[in-house]
Amino acid sequence: MLITSLSPNEALYSRDRGVVPESLTLEHYDVIFESGTFPVQTYFFNSLSVALITSVIALVVSILGAYSFTRIDYPGSTTIRRGIIVVYMLAAITLVIPLFQLLVQFGLVDTRLSLYITYTVKTLPLTLYILWNYFRSLPVEIEEAAFIDGYSRLETIVRVIVPVSLPVLVAAFLFSFKIAWNEYLFASVFLQSEPLYTLPIGIETLDSAFQNVWGEIMAASIITTLPIIVMFLYLEKYMVEGLTAGAVEG
Amino acid sequence: MSTTTLVKDRIEHIDPRRRETLLGYLLVLPSVLLIGAVIIYPLAYNLYLGFTEVPLNPDQSPTWIGFQNYEALIGSTRFWDATINTVVFTVGSTLLATAVGLGVAILFDRTFRGRRLARGLVLLPHVTPIIAVAFAWQFMLDPLWGNLPDLLAWLGLYESEVGLLQSREQALPMAILFDVWRNFPFAFLLFIARLQAIPQSMYEAATIDGAGRVAQFKDIILPELKGTILIAILLRFVWEFNAFEPVWLLTRNLETLPIYAYKSAFSTYDQGLGAAIAVMLFLFQLVMVAGYMRFVGEDEL
Repeated sequence: MLITSLSPNEALYSRDRGVVPESLTLEHYDVIFESGTFPVQTYFFNSLSVALITSVIALVVSILGAYSFTRIDYPGSTTIRRGIIVVYMLAAITLVIPLFQLLVQFGLVDTRLSLYITYTVKTLPLTLYILWNYFRSLPVEIEEAAFIDGYSRLETIVRVIVPVSLPVLVAAFLFSFKIAWNEYLFASVFLQSEPLYTLPIGIETLDSAFQNVWGEIMAASIITTLPIIVMFLYLEKYMVEGLTAGAVEG
Repeated sequence: MSTTTLVKDRIEHIDPRRRETLLGYLLVLPSVLLIGAVIIYPLAYNLYLGFTEVPLNPDQSPTWIGFQNYEALIGSTRFWDATINTVVFTVGSTLLATAVGLGVAILFDRTFRGRRLARGLVLLPHVTPIIAVAFAWQFMLDPLWGNLPDLLAWLGLYESEVGLLQSREQALPMAILFDVWRNFPFAFLLFIARLQAIPQSMYEAATIDGAGRVAQFKDIILPELKGTILIAILLRFVWEFNAFEPVWLLTRNLETLPIYAYKSAFSTYDQGLGAAIAVMLFLFQLVMVAGYMRFVGEDEL
């Protein structure tokens, strides 16, 4: 993939090429960033904004939810918690048709908002799961000191729980980011106009709209992959926990 | 007295234990509302859509047609072909990915130089965005420009004018292969964690008893990993059965049930029929999830 993205066109489309390319070029990157034909830059920022916004919302909502599961006793909490696990195992394909119909009714088709809402909920069960698993391991004593100091529950969450759990919060955020960044199915249906396309949809459009643009497709793929690989370096030690909850689907 | 102090005053008069309960509900409310509105309600709505014909004009409401969508599906060969494809794809990729994952995990169950780096490389297919790897495979397999067709022809394995992803017979095995390559790291990760929990003394005892590698695998590794293997297979089975992207992004020449649902809904705009397929997929998932819960045990969750 990397090699293809760096190979000149003549080498890509010749019959006798070796495994190791003879010359490398950045021309494909130049094409996707500089020429107006392939608005990869737009796709990149669309993906970035969708992934950032959904991850922030999912994280805030799930900090509150996960805290409520682990620290407060109330009837129904176990049922809700199990329900969330079940919901998470459901595949997106079973939801895409009714969601599309509902978005049509609310006039939300072809808007960024449609992705913000659906992606947030798509990642929510996972972030909830990761966080409650972690909160459960925190000793209650660290909060008691805060209560004695007169902090309320909410203040305790912000001033005690959040700082203590920072590394795990980052992991949950990145998992969520990754799901939103890679999502294809919902975006392929909900988005219709090109200025809104995210990277996966944009790359697919490159493929269907042009012939023999493999170098450009691979360059765009590298752009899509790089942030994820960088995150992976951080996430590696959280992978197993994330996996059992189905983290890396999609 | 302003309303805020009034509210505050009233809150303070509630019994502290009830206040805790209320706070608990309040904190979990956003999660529940979001999941209810974007997952639970659409699922119910989908159930309804499966019994209707959805008009193209969004201002008209769907017309109730009873079981007609389901009757049409059961009576069509296309549906059964898609079902067979789905089953073959699911069973094939689940079992192979689990087996490869187990094999690689056993290879990694020792210390060697560069182990961390190798581990990272093994995980790479699973971590890289699917859109990128799907196109990388498409390019490698491209009959005109790809590397692999030349190599396969040179080895005498496959030679044809039709690319591997373009021919209907080859698309299914290629999709399985792609999916196994992408998902074996999942099984690998689950297994390596369990393998490393097996005490070294068990192997030592087995070696003293004269047990070879094969016997060690059969008598130590398999029994110790039985639960994990079952979980891996169960989870993958549900996901593969409903897998959309791994097939759709690799080849358009293979129709599984999720792809049939997608095409019905968004290519031919027969959303009612698509919904009916989605309902069947949903029921299947429900059965599998129930099995998973029973197997894992409710305490775990």
